[in-house]
Amino acid sequence: MSRIVIGAGIRGSHVVVDRVEGKVNAAIEKYGVDKAVGLPNTAYYLPTIYGITGIKVETLGDMPAIIKKCRELLAEVPAEDCWLPYLGPGLDSGMATAFAFDLEEALKYLEDPCPYLASKEDPEETDPDIWLGAADDIILRKRGVEFVDGSAPGFAAIVGAAKDVETAIKIAKELQEKSIYVFMASHSPNGVSFAQQLVEGGVQIGWNTRLVPFGYDHSAAIHAIGFAVKAALTFGGKTPGDHVNVLKYIKNRIFAFILALDEVVDEQYAAACGAINFAVPVIADTDFPEVLPTGVCTYEHVVTNIPQEEIVTKGIEVRGLKITVSKIDIPVSYGPAFEGERIKKDAMHVELGGPKSMGFEFAYSKPLDEVEDGKFTVVGPDMKDVEAGGLLPIGIWIELAGRKFQEDFEPILERQCHHLLNGAEGVLHIGQRDIVWMRVSKKAFDAGFTLKNFGTILHAKMHNEFGAIVDKVQVTIYTEEEKVKELLEVARKTWVQRDNRLADMIDETTDTFYSCTLCQSFAPTHVCVVTPERPGLCGAYNWLDCRASYEINPHGPNQPIEKGDTIDERLGKWKGVDEFVVPASGNAFESFAAYSIMEDPMTSCGCFEAIGACLFAANAIMVVDRDYTGETPCGMPFSTLAGTVGGGLQTPGFVGISKFYVGSKKFISAEGGIKRLAWLPKALKEASKEMIDKRGEEIGIPNFYDMIATEENGCTEEEVMAFMTEVGHPALEMDPLM
Amino acid sequence: MAFAAVSEKYSGKMREMEVGAGDKKVLVGGQASMPFCSFDGDLGNKPIIAMEVYDVVDPEWPAAVVDPFKDVINDPVAWAKKNVEDYGAKMICLQLLGTDPNGENRDADYAADLTKKVAEAISVPLMVWGSGNVEKDGEVLAKICETCAGMNLLIGPAVEENYKKIAATALGYGHCVVSQSPIDVNMAKQMNILIGNLGLPLEKIIMEPSTGALGYGVEYTYSVMERISLAALSQNDEKMQCPMINDMGKECWKSREVKLTDVEEPAFGPDMEKRGVLWEAMTAIDMLLSGSNLLIMRNPHAVKLTEEIIDELM
Repeated sequence: MSRIVIGAGIRGSHVVVDRVEGKVNAAIEKYGVDKAVGLPNTAYYLPTIYGITGIKVETLGDMPAIIKKCRELLAEVPAEDCWLPYLGPGLDSGMATAFAFDLEEALKYLEDPCPYLASKEDPEETDPDIWLGAADDIILRKRGVEFVDGSAPGFAAIVGAAKDVETAIKIAKELQEKSIYVFMASHSPNGVSFAQQLVEGGVQIGWNTRLVPFGYDHSAAIHAIGFAVKAALTFGGKTPGDHVNVLKYIKNRIFAFILALDEVVDEQYAAACGAINFAVPVIADTDFPEVLPTGVCTYEHVVTNIPQEEIVTKGIEVRGLKITVSKIDIPVSYGPAFEGERIKKDAMHVELGGPKSMGFEFAYSKPLDEVEDGKFTVVGPDMKDVEAGGLLPIGIWIELAGRKFQEDFEPILERQCHHLLNGAEGVLHIGQRDIVWMRVSKKAFDAGFTLKNFGTILHAKMHNEFGAIVDKVQVTIYTEEEKVKELLEVARKTWVQRDNRLADMIDETTDTFYSCTLCQSFAPTHVCVVTPERPGLCGAYNWLDCRASYEINPHGPNQPIEKGDTIDERLGKWKGVDEFVVPASGNAFESFAAYSIMEDPMTSCGCFEAIGACLFAANAIMVVDRDYTGETPCGMPFSTLAGTVGGGLQTPGFVGISKFYVGSKKFISAEGGIKRLAWLPKALKEASKEMIDKRGEEIGIPNFYDMIATEENGCTEEEVMAFMTEVGHPALEMDPLM
Repeated sequence: MAFAAVSEKYSGKMREMEVGAGDKKVLVGGQASMPFCSFDGDLGNKPIIAMEVYDVVDPEWPAAVVDPFKDVINDPVAWAKKNVEDYGAKMICLQLLGTDPNGENRDADYAADLTKKVAEAISVPLMVWGSGNVEKDGEVLAKICETCAGMNLLIGPAVEENYKKIAATALGYGHCVVSQSPIDVNMAKQMNILIGNLGLPLEKIIMEPSTGALGYGVEYTYSVMERISLAALSQNDEKMQCPMINDMGKECWKSREVKLTDVEEPAFGPDMEKRGVLWEAMTAIDMLLSGSNLLIMRNPHAVKLTEEIIDELM
C-alpha cells in the first residue's frame, strides 16, 4: 500500500479544506448567513454531504458546520517513518475533501456570472463556456435509469488531460462505443482539460453524447460523485445519512472509475482518496506507487503507469465492469430460428473441417493481461480465397479471461460454440472438440460473411450470455493445415487433462453439491441433487455444469448445497442435503439418499435418460433407457415405468437416472453397485461397453459385461434368472434386496 | 364425537400492492389463505377487475364486445370514462395495441400522451399494457413512466427480454410493474428476483403467469398459479409472495367458440353474446379459484357476473 499516495492525499485534503473554509467565510461576509445556497433544481441539497451525513445545506449559515465536520475527519499527514496502516485516515481525509468540494461547487452558483450552464443537457456554440456543472434531478432520473437497466454499464470520470487531442478523441470514442458515460472535470498542471481537448477536436459534448463536461476546477469532479449518490437515493431508495448503504449501493450498482491523465497534484490525490470511499478506483497514466490490495473497491484501488492507449481497458477491468454487445456485427441474420438450418452441398461456399479434412475448436483461459478483448484474426486462407464448394481445415482458437473465470468453465464455454455459431444464418456447425464440421452458405458469403465473423459471434454471445464469468474474448481462426495440426495436438493434451480432472473428482472430497429444480414447473416436488459422481438424471447437467450455471445465474435453478455432516456414508445421506431438500420439495420429502434405490431414493421428474428398477426375485436390478420400447423383466415397458416413477415422487425400488451414472462408482452403491446389474437393453449395453468393462475390472470381474442379460436373453424375470445362473452372476450371491 | 373442522395453517402471506396515487389508490392482494377459504385465514383484499380500453380495436372483435362501447370505441379517453361511470370499473387497463410495429406502429410519444389523458380523465387507477412486442414495449412503457411520473400506474408486461428497461424506469418514476413469465413457476420466481435486483421493491410487482382462456390452456395457468400460491403460503417463499394478475380478456374474446355463429356450429345455439360472456366469466372464475388478485376483462356483463360471484364468496 502506498504511504506516498495516501500522504499526498491527506496533505491535499488540508489544503482543500483550508481554502474552502476561507471561501465560505468570505461568502458569509458578503451575502450573510441567511443567503440560500444550493445546486439547481434538485431535492437532494448538496448531494454528497446530504447522502452521506443526512445534513441539508440550504443556506450559507449551514456551511460552517460542514467545515467543522471536515476538520474532524482530516487526519495528520503520516510521518516519513510511520508504517502504521493509513488507509483509514486517508479515506476519512478523502471524505473531508469530498464535502469541501461539494461546498465549493455550491458557492459557484452564487457567482455572477455563474460559471455553469445550469440545467442544460448540452453546451451550445452560443454559450459562453462549455461547463455544465451539477446534473439536476430531471437529468438524473433520465440518465440514472440507464445505469439501473444496464444500458449504461457505468461512468468514467476523467480528470486532467490526454497527451494530445487525438488521444483524447480516441479515449472518448472507446468509452462511447461501450456506452460508458464520460464525466469530465479538472485540468492538467499546464491548464489543459480533457473536455476542451474534445471540443478542439470537433467532438460534440454533452449528456446526449455521454461526454459530460462538469467543470474546469478539480472540485468539479464532485459532481460525478454527487450523481452516484443521487442515484443511490433515487433508485436505491436509500435514506440520506445511511452512509453504509449509500456507499454499498454505489459500489454494487454504479460502476465508476477515474482515469487520471497527466501529472497528479496533491489536491487530486485528495480527491482520489475521496473517490475510493465510493469504491471508485483510480487508474493513472503517470508513474507513482499503486494502492493494490482489495477492500473498499471491488478490486485494486489505485493502478498507475498505464499508457493512455490502454487506460480504458484497464479501467473497465479494475472496476469489474461488464460489457454487453447489443448487436452482433455480422452481415447475416442471427437468432435461434437459424439453429436448425441445414446447408446442402450445392448451397455451400465452403466446408470447414469434417470427415474430408480436419476441424477442431478449443477454448481456454489465460491471465487478463494476455487476452485482447474483441481481437479476431484469421491465419490462413479466408472464404474469398477458395472456390465455391471448396474445403478448408479449421481450428477455432478461443482465448478467454475473466476475474471470476475458473479453469473448470473452459469445457462448458467450449461446448457453447455449437449453439452460438449455429445461430448465424448460413452457418452450419456439427460436432465438438476435434470432430468439428462446418459449412458456410453461398448466400452468407455473398452477403459479406468472412471467417473473422466467427470471432464476432463468439465474442458478442459469450459476453452477453456468460458475462458473469467472462471479461475478455479473443478468437483466432486457423485454416492452414500445418498450423491446425500443430494446435490440435496442444488442444488434445488439454482435453485429456480435463477428462482426467473430472474423473478424479469424488463425492467424498467435495463439500458442495448442487441442486437442480429446473423441472419443478411440471414436477413441483422434484429436486435433483447433483454430485460429482451422480449427474442429474436427465444426463444434461453434471456437477461442473451446475456449478457454472450457478456462477452465471445465481438466482437460477442450480443452487449450491453445503453437504454438511455425513448421516450415512453407505446410503449417501448428508445433513446439509436433507436440510435443503425439505423446503425445496415443498415439504414433500424429508431425506434423500444419493446412492440407494431402496431407501429414500431421489425423486424423478420426467426427464430421466433411463430408469433403474429392482428385480426382487433375481435379487438384482435392471436399467432401461428411453429408446427401448419393448417389454422389460420388471413387467413394464419404459413408458409405463416412466409414469410410475416420474412426477416428483420417491418410489423405493425404482429410480430415474442418467445413462452415465451406470458407470459411476456410486451407482446404487448402497445396494452393492453395478454388481447388481443383471439386465440392459442391447443397444444401451453396447453403447455402455467401455464404461461397464472399466467397472468390471475395478470390481474384479473383468468379464462382467458378458453377465448382463439383454432382450435377446429374455424379457421376463424368470428368463433373466436362468441367464444369471448360467453365467454365475454375482447378484445371486449378494444380500437380499429386501 | 363432535365434528372438528380441519383448518390448513399457512406460514406465508401475499404482499399487498398499492396501485394509483392519492384518492385513486386501491389495494391488491394481501391474502393469507388459498382463494375463498376464509376458514383457513385472511382473504385479503377483494379481487379487482380492470376493464380494458384499446387505443386500436381489432376489426375481428365479435359484436358482444363492440356493442357495449359502440359510441366510444374510437375514443379511448371516453371509453375509459364510460367503463368507470356506466359500468362501474374499479380499474382501467389501457391496451396499447396500436404501438405494435407489426400493426399501426404508433410511437412512444403518442402512447405517453394518450396514457396521461386517460389517467387524468378517470377517477380510478390505471394500468397500461404494451402490445407484446418486447423491444417496442420497452421503449413505449419507459416513455409512459417518464410522462406519468408519480401517478403510480401499473405497467407491463415486463418479460425476460425487456424487464430491465421497464422496471428501471418504473423505479425511477414511481410505478408498479407486471412481471410476466412463460407459464413456468421457476421463471415466475426468477423474474421477481431479477426485477427486485434492479431495486424495485417486491411490493411493486405483480405476476402474470401467462394466461390461457377456457379451452385454451386454462388448466395449465390454473396449475401454475396454484403452485405459486402454495409456494407463497405454505413454503413462505418470499420471492413468490407477489400478487397475481391475468391478462385474460383478449384471450377469451379471440377464442374460436365465442366467434362461431350458430350457422357454422348449430350446437352452440344463436345467443353469441351469452356464450361469450359466460366464456369470459368462467375463465375469470377459474383464475380467481387459483389465486388471482387482478383480472383484465372486456365485456361489462361478464365483469358484473364475476363481481357478483366474488361478492357471494367473500
